[in-house]
Amino acid sequence: MPRITVDGVELEVPAGRTILQALDDAGLLMNGVDIPHYCWHPKLSIDGSCRLCQVEVEGAPKLQIACNTPVQDGMVIRTASEQVRTAREGVMELLLVNHPLDCPICDQAGECKLQDYAFEYGVTQSRTREPRRALKKHVALGPTIVFDQERCILCRRCVRFCREIPQTGELAVIGRGDRSVIETFPGAPLENDYSMNVADICPVGALTTRDFRFKIRSWFLQDVPGVCTGCARGCNISLSVANNKVYRYLPRRNDAVNDTWICDAGRDSYREIGARDRLKHASVRGENGVLETVSTDFAIQEAARRLARIAAAKGAGVIAGIASPHATNEDLFTFRRLLEALGAETRGVAVVRGASDALLVVEEKAANAAGARAIGFGDAAAVLDRLRSGAVDALIALGHDIAHEQFLGGTQGLEKLDTVVVLDSHVSELQRVAHVLVPTRVAAEKHGTLTNCAGRVQRVRAAVEPAWEAHGEGEILARLGAALGLGGFDGRFDVREVGKALSASLPAFEGIDLETVGAAGRPLATAGASG
Amino acid sequence: MLSIPYVTGYLTEHFGDDEFTQIGGYEKRGGYRAARKAMKEMTPAEVIDLVKSSGLQGRGGAGFLTGLKWSFMPVETDKPKYLVCNADESEPGSFKDRILLERGGHQLIEGLLIAAWATGSEKTFVYVRGEYGFPARQLQRCIDEAYARGYLGKNVMKTGFRHDIVVQRGAGAYICGEETGLLESLEGKKGQPRKKPPFPAQYGAFGMPSTVNNVETFCHVPHIVKNGAEWFRSIGTEKSPGNAIFGVSGHVVRPGLYEFPLGTRLDEIVFEHAGGVPDGRKVKGVIPGGMSMPILPAGQLDVPLANEFLRERKTMLGTGGIMVMDETTCMVRVACVITYFFRDESCGQCTQCREGTGWLNKIANRIERGAGHAEDLDILGDVAGKMEGRTICAFADAAAWPVQGLLRHFRGDFEEHVRQKKCPFTQSFEL
Repeated sequence: MPRITVDGVELEVPAGRTILQALDDAGLLMNGVDIPHYCWHPKLSIDGSCRLCQVEVEGAPKLQIACNTPVQDGMVIRTASEQVRTAREGVMELLLVNHPLDCPICDQAGECKLQDYAFEYGVTQSRTREPRRALKKHVALGPTIVFDQERCILCRRCVRFCREIPQTGELAVIGRGDRSVIETFPGAPLENDYSMNVADICPVGALTTRDFRFKIRSWFLQDVPGVCTGCARGCNISLSVANNKVYRYLPRRNDAVNDTWICDAGRDSYREIGARDRLKHASVRGENGVLETVSTDFAIQEAARRLARIAAAKGAGVIAGIASPHATNEDLFTFRRLLEALGAETRGVAVVRGASDALLVVEEKAANAAGARAIGFGDAAAVLDRLRSGAVDALIALGHDIAHEQFLGGTQGLEKLDTVVVLDSHVSELQRVAHVLVPTRVAAEKHGTLTNCAGRVQRVRAAVEPAWEAHGEGEILARLGAALGLGGFDGRFDVREVGKALSASLPAFEGIDLETVGAAGRPLATAGASG
Repeated sequence: MLSIPYVTGYLTEHFGDDEFTQIGGYEKRGGYRAARKAMKEMTPAEVIDLVKSSGLQGRGGAGFLTGLKWSFMPVETDKPKYLVCNADESEPGSFKDRILLERGGHQLIEGLLIAAWATGSEKTFVYVRGEYGFPARQLQRCIDEAYARGYLGKNVMKTGFRHDIVVQRGAGAYICGEETGLLESLEGKKGQPRKKPPFPAQYGAFGMPSTVNNVETFCHVPHIVKNGAEWFRSIGTEKSPGNAIFGVSGHVVRPGLYEFPLGTRLDEIVFEHAGGVPDGRKVKGVIPGGMSMPILPAGQLDVPLANEFLRERKTMLGTGGIMVMDETTCMVRVACVITYFFRDESCGQCTQCREGTGWLNKIANRIERGAGHAEDLDILGDVAGKMEGRTICAFADAAAWPVQGLLRHFRGDFEEHVRQKKCPFTQSFEL
């Protein structure tokens, strides 16, 4: 392995990498070693055109671009010399020659690399007297992306992204010299399942998503690390939060899961958090057969009363549990403990399947399907068999995936049950048969961990608080357990403690809990999870 | 009608002879004997050593040692190797390759064959400037004749060596004369230079190991094989051996082509051979090697045309396109023309070049218009300095150097524009 010296610090780096790649591998790029760059992106091919990443390499007659210069043993690199600084100033001044400097009305302001580097390396006074190039300010490149030609610095990340990642190649540079503009081909708009990533990788305000633009200034937003729940891939995301509202999902880099990408469907799924069809109050079915709004506490008492009655009359064997593959590991572990304490042996998880692609999207449309299996929830088919055979009198359902056409296809078979307890975040057709209905939280509203399709356990955080009374499934089940008087249930639910208990009792989760899982997640200790 | 060089040498001596353009006439004058000698009597390594020891420098502008470039080609490789002949001749002021294509097609083919043998290349792509329709057709006719006579094809001169030559016409972009921009264009892509590494010898045309040389460079090779390295070194200067074809244009009595040994003095060519400036006017400045090279003022023309001497005067031989400007020339106007050209032709990849060429042009135009400020002169020099040596290819250098040259030697012209708030020369125009 070659040894290189960067600003006096010696590093051992893998051979065959360029300077920027090697620093990125070592986690030092822009995190100890500042080499500003525009065209280089860790997950795209090297372009070498913005010329901002020039560094001094001892022995080389000219400055070298760090993005394309392979490391060699004994290489001595200086990233902060006077010569380098002058070169950066030169590039920044030239990049701003034609830039409209319309930051006050630009959506990127505050999270713009042109602003950042101009602030750090730019000159404070413009020397241009010439008019800047006047181009189109609003070009709809496709259904999701709006392009401002004037702000574009032609780093061509978006062009390379479309060619290399979704491999749809919708974008190209048209024209030469200072007449160059990014364009789509006639009749072929920017339209692919990953199109909005171009707005993330655009270092300036040229590409913005139609969805997010002009919603809020970026400096009001707080980034909360989380996980996308659109499918079992568990792409790492940042939730941009302000005013107790999630404004967008941005992909968060995790080379073991999603690199730096997220699919458009996943990105759009933030809408589910504030959706109109969120379940906002608990209810119980009254004497007249109509659902009546009650407090969560009352609903839990009613569920406990019904379940206790059935257990006493027919034994807990007639109680079945359907887990939600959207709930956290801690929620599901609590559910398993509850069912076991009750003596209910019939349990499973309903995981809806859908389309997948070669890049990120996997078939299972639930964030914690693998976790549910690892915690001991098998395929829902076994539960459905018992249900159809009449061996089940009461059902506790987390979520409504069981009603999906891939399982019950509605509520058939549930109407005749004595008791149906549903814990759900959104309104569903299970309302028609539920005797007790309790609203729950979605992943963005609670702390916990999710296990992705590859068995990687990843942390989610409560980024926002629901404006109505809703609790995580774990907490509701803990209170239900206490109401039932089950051993080991005192009505409290501390997610950290539950995580530790899960880690202690299931070998797959050994050493994994909320504290140890880290920003990038940790794979399950034993292979028990598969997509 | 095409002008045959006023002064000829070993490259062009038969160019006035129509028979020379036919294969029979070429063979009668000793043609293809050098190729036969190289392929039947010499190993590829011996040919490379010969060219190395001849000291032949590339004639496309950069002056890189040809033999050294050939030696970069990998010997052990599974991939096919290619030769690429750069006949894009896009440098303004340069028109030597055109005559080598039109009148010396077989000489070029013979040079290509020897180079192909030396580098083990199975195919040559000749990338001809889009505007060169007639030269391309002439070359294609020669190639067809060479195929018919067994000099090209599956079994070249019954040696078992295979070589094909493909002529590809460009579409008229200056940047496609840059060797990797040429390769991109050859592959059917937008003509944009590639970042290096990898270099063409590793990853060239269609991703295969390739050597790119200028037309004239190849044309010297048969003569070196025929007459030996000693002979070649006896011509020209110690560091720059051989003849070169100079294209003289501008304010001279006899504009045209002149073949001279390298090291011939610039003033000798301009005044004695090209007849000096007509109508008794005086020379103001001369660009010695195509538009991208810095200009020399009238007082500095006593320089031998070889890089080692021209570098001392902060300019280079380039492509040997000598452009003469007389005393009526407005040097700010020259700056406008030059910067307009480079602004128009920049491929737009690198920041400095894309933005810098445009900015230089806008400032030059403003000064010419009479709206210049004193600090604009410094900005011109500063922007040119920021462009130089910092980009993927040498285009930004080519755009910056002439501006630096004009400022160095004709700053007075610029200052006068600023002072008078107008162009002090008549017939001024703005681009």
